Formats: sequence, C-alpha cells, structure tokens
Amino acid sequence: MKDPLVTLSGIVKRFGDFTAVHRLDLEIAAGEFIAIMGPSGCGKTTTLRMIAGLEAPTEGQLRIGGRLMNDVPVHERDTPMVWQSLALFPFLNTRENVEFGLRMRGIGTAERRRRAVEWLERLEIREFAERSIDTLSGGQRQRVALARSLVTEPQILLLDEPLSALDAHLVIRMQGVLTRLQRELGITFVYVTHSQSEAFAMADRIVIMSGGRIVQTGRPREIYRTPECRFVAEFVGRNNILEGISRGDAIETPLGVFPAANLPAAGRRAILVIAADLVELSRTGSEGSIPCSLISEEFVGATVTLFLEAADGTELKVQLPERALGDLDLHAGGRFHLSWPDDVGHVLAEN
Amino acid sequence: MNRFALAFRLPIIVWQGLFFLGPLFFMIAMSFFLVKNYRMEEAFELKNWARMLTRGYVWDSYWYTLGMASLTTAAAAMLAFPAAWVLAFRVSEGVRRWAIFLLIIPFFTSYLVRTFSWYVILAESGVINAGLGAAALGPYTMLNTPFGTVVGYLTLTLPLVVILQTVSLANIDQNLVQAARNLGCPPARALFAVTLPLAKTGLIVAALFCFILSFGDFVAPYYLGGSKPPTLPILIVDTTKSGQQWPRAAVVAVMMMTTLFAIAATAIWLAYRKRVSA
Repeated sequence: MKDPLVTLSGIVKRFGDFTAVHRLDLEIAAGEFIAIMGPSGCGKTTTLRMIAGLEAPTEGQLRIGGRLMNDVPVHERDTPMVWQSLALFPFLNTRENVEFGLRMRGIGTAERRRRAVEWLERLEIREFAERSIDTLSGGQRQRVALARSLVTEPQILLLDEPLSALDAHLVIRMQGVLTRLQRELGITFVYVTHSQSEAFAMADRIVIMSGGRIVQTGRPREIYRTPECRFVAEFVGRNNILEGISRGDAIETPLGVFPAANLPAAGRRAILVIAADLVELSRTGSEGSIPCSLISEEFVGATVTLFLEAADGTELKVQLPERALGDLDLHAGGRFHLSWPDDVGHVLAEN
Repeated sequence: MNRFALAFRLPIIVWQGLFFLGPLFFMIAMSFFLVKNYRMEEAFELKNWARMLTRGYVWDSYWYTLGMASLTTAAAAMLAFPAAWVLAFRVSEGVRRWAIFLLIIPFFTSYLVRTFSWYVILAESGVINAGLGAAALGPYTMLNTPFGTVVGYLTLTLPLVVILQTVSLANIDQNLVQAARNLGCPPARALFAVTLPLAKTGLIVAALFCFILSFGDFVAPYYLGGSKPPTLPILIVDTTKSGQQWPRAAVVAVMMMTTLFAIAATAIWLAYRKRVSA
C-alpha cells in the first residue's frame, strides 16, 4: 500500500492480565472504507479506541499520516468518532451539538453557525437545528452525530457500531447515507461492527478479528467466498462446514466423498466449506445427494434459510430465494435431498 | 383518578396536610393575632407586620442571615467540589463507597456536640491560636464572629454537599466526556464544557440543601457566631421570649418561608432547565 493514512504496527493492548489486542499490524489507506468486524470481545472496539487515542497501546506504534501518534492526546488527534451510544450532549440543541468541535477549535460564532447549518442541510436535518436532541428520533440523532463528527472536515472518521440501535429499515437508509458521504468526501472511514450485512454492504475492505488478532483481511467477496480459516467460515455468511480427510483429489467426510480442489496431501485432515446459497435442494434423491430432514426455516425478506439434519446428525443449511420455494411443503420433519456442484466446495487445511 | 392511585397518595396527602399545610396556615394566621397583657388573642390586624417590616434590626437580621447562608453555600460548593471530583473520578468504586459511609458518620453525633467541639479549636486559647502563638502570631478571635457562624454552618452542611456532589458527578455518562475530548476539547475545558452542565441538577440541589440548612440554623450562629446581629432563627427565639410576642415571631417565620420558597423554586427551575447557554 502506498502511503497509508493509518498504520498500526505491532500494536499490543493489555488491560491488567487481559490482552485485548495481540501484535496487530494493519495499514489503512487514505480514502478507504474499512470495516473491522468480529464477535464481541474480539478487540475491534479497542483497536478503534486506540486510533482515537482513547486507549494507549501497551506496545507497538500507531501512525497517522506518517506521524507517530502514541503520545498525542485525544483532543489533538482530529480523529472524530461516531459512538455506539451516539454520545450527543443533552444540554445542547442540535445545532450546538454540531458546532461543538468548531467551538473547541476557536472558530467564531458566525462561521461556526454557517458551517453547522451547512452540515445539517447536507444530512437533511436542517429543520431540527434549534430543537433539543431528545425530541429527535433515532435516525435523526444518528445524523446529528454524523454531522457533529464531520463538521471539522477530518481526514478520518471512526465509527463504533453506529447503526446497532436503529430499526432495520433505518439501518439500510443510513448505510446509503454513509457510503454516499464517504464517496463524496473521499476521507477514510474506519467502521467497527459485529454485523456482517453492514460491513459487506459498505466496506471496500474487511478486517475480521477474533481473540485480539486479525484472522483475515480482504474484499467483502473474498471474505465471503474464500474464508481462510474455520472461524471466518463460521462467522461470515451461512456456510456448511464438513470435516474430513483428504484423498488427494476428493475429501472423505461422514456424509460421503466429495471431489474438491486445493486439498492437502492425502491422509491429512481438511475442512470442506460449502456456502448455503450454493446448495441445491430437491424432493427426490439423485446420485451422491444427501438425504436430510427439515428442522426449521428462517425468513429474512426475500431470502429463506432452511436448517436440515442429515442421518448422522450433521446440521446443514440451504439458502434460497423465497420465490424458488414454489409449492414446497415446509413442515418440520419433511424429507429432502441436498447436493452441490463439484466445483463449489472451498477447502481449508485443518491444523 | 384511579382509586388505587388515590389510595397510595393518601398517606403523603394526609401527612403534608397535618404537619405542613395545617401548621403553615396556623402560623400565617397567627401573624395577624395580637398580644395583650402577655396573652395572645385571635385577631386580624396588620400591626405585627407593620411593626416588624419597618424595624431596621429585622432587616439587618434578614440581610445578614441571607448573606451568611449564601456565603456558606458558595464556600461549601467550592470546598466540596475538589473532594467530590476525586471521589467520583479518581478512586475505585469501593473507596467511593467507604468515603460516602465516612461522610455520613458525622450525622451520627448531635450537631450541637459537633458545634461545641469547635470551642476547643477556635477559642482564644484553642488549638489554632496555640499553634499560631508558637509561630509568634495571633491570637485571633474566631469565636463569636461571622467566621465562627460560617464554620458552624459548614459543620452542618459540608458532608452532605460532598455526598450529593459525588453522586451527581459519578452518575455522569463518561462517554460524553470522552466524546468532547474526541472533538478537540482539552481536559480542563471539558470540566466546564461537559462535566458541569451534565452534573448541573445534582450540584444545584446540593447547593440548595446547603442554603436551606444554613438559613434556618439556630445552633451555629448562636453558639459560634455570638448572635450580633442575630440571625432570623435567633430573632424568632428572642421575639417569643420577650413579651410572648409569638405573632411577631410568626411574621419573621413567614418572611423566612417566603424567602426559602422563592429560592428553592428558582433553584429547581435552574436545575431542571434543559438548556444551558452555549
């Protein structure tokens, strides 16, 4: 990467005996929308807070724009953050909240007001300028928080699960607002989330963390189609994970032998990952298909995930568009057969 | 209104009626009674009011009491704040709990005893003057002075003010303070820009308690302040003792109540007003 805006090298963060982040190396480019994703406690928020200066790294170096930031206090960093709780000031109205950062930079009243109102207009909340923030809806407050962070025209915006408190339909709208803003402003967004759909919908690049370490970095599609380890395969998407033993050109699993590429040497243990949306479902069996019984289904809008169980108890998932269900009778215990094309399996070497 | 809601409110309504509103109305009525031959007679005359409101010594007492209570409130708020700040932000939860417990302990002993114990410290031959004497300073007169009064008032109020301030500071959402710093606010400025506005309600309520307790206190000004001029509570006692003038004392009491109502109402309005000037 040429001239990264943010560089974390060998960053370690310990809280007493607990190590939240283990030797983390990460470069974030200028103008990049990067999502740091992982389950709670994986160190993603700690990493974000270290970039903001709210936590000091125990070891390692943090650079922003080439400058070593380890000892630069929070208020001198210009790394505004959108908080999970939004952290709007309840004793200030909407406009005054947005003006706060400008006031701290000693910008005059008239100029402050002009720039705040400009941002309120940009985020379509101009009409609430003089309103108390606790009269605003969740989505409106979200926009106030964004305006407050962006009004000082930073090079980088940190977002800590900003959409987690919003209703589903508002999340989609705010995702649109965020991606549009990021493109228009051309600044770096570092977005921390545990939500796969948010990360995949917005980010140019995704960093997956687990147990204080980065386990995979890549474009959303790479992460989705070619997980590099079992953790990512389980955390991202709906994947069927079959453990087995390599036979060189096929993998032997409890559910049968499946041809696959990129297998380790014969006799080594391996994992076959088949994305749920690539699995085919039929009422009647065919050569090599797996008989299953339906356990439950899950509707998320136009997509349906079916959870099935094979004879040996292995749980399998199938993801289908709702309209592809046709007149399938989806009662629990219903018998189906699963199969997948030979080339869709993704192999992980198990170590 | 729901019958159950009414039933639950009944005790407080009865209590307030019997022990607050009833006596208050009686006291107001009494301020219009007359005293003849050391006996109180029911009447509706403005003589007591006319007399008390036109006497210089009454107003001297009034302004003196108001001033001393205000001074004490300001002093208590400022003395308590650093302690409350440390207890709220710089010590562990456990230490804070112990500190609040220790701050409650003074209330276990009689306020009168605590006031008298100041004699040992503040007297001409007391601890402080002995210490100053060793450094060839003093002696300073501290008993029977306004200083003594303030020391007494603070004995009564300071622990309570520290507790109330600590609780209101400790309840601040620290995310908001961090958010301010994240937006470029240096730590010292964050105190004024965020911490104080957030703790405002609790800080004002603490100050209000301090004012109410000081304004109505008899013990400190009487034993440590020398009652020259007398504060309003001393004036009330003096008035009842000289010639059984309960109605005139009632006038002073109503003046005090009115003042406290006005100040409490203003304080509560300020405390709960949403906005602060930006």
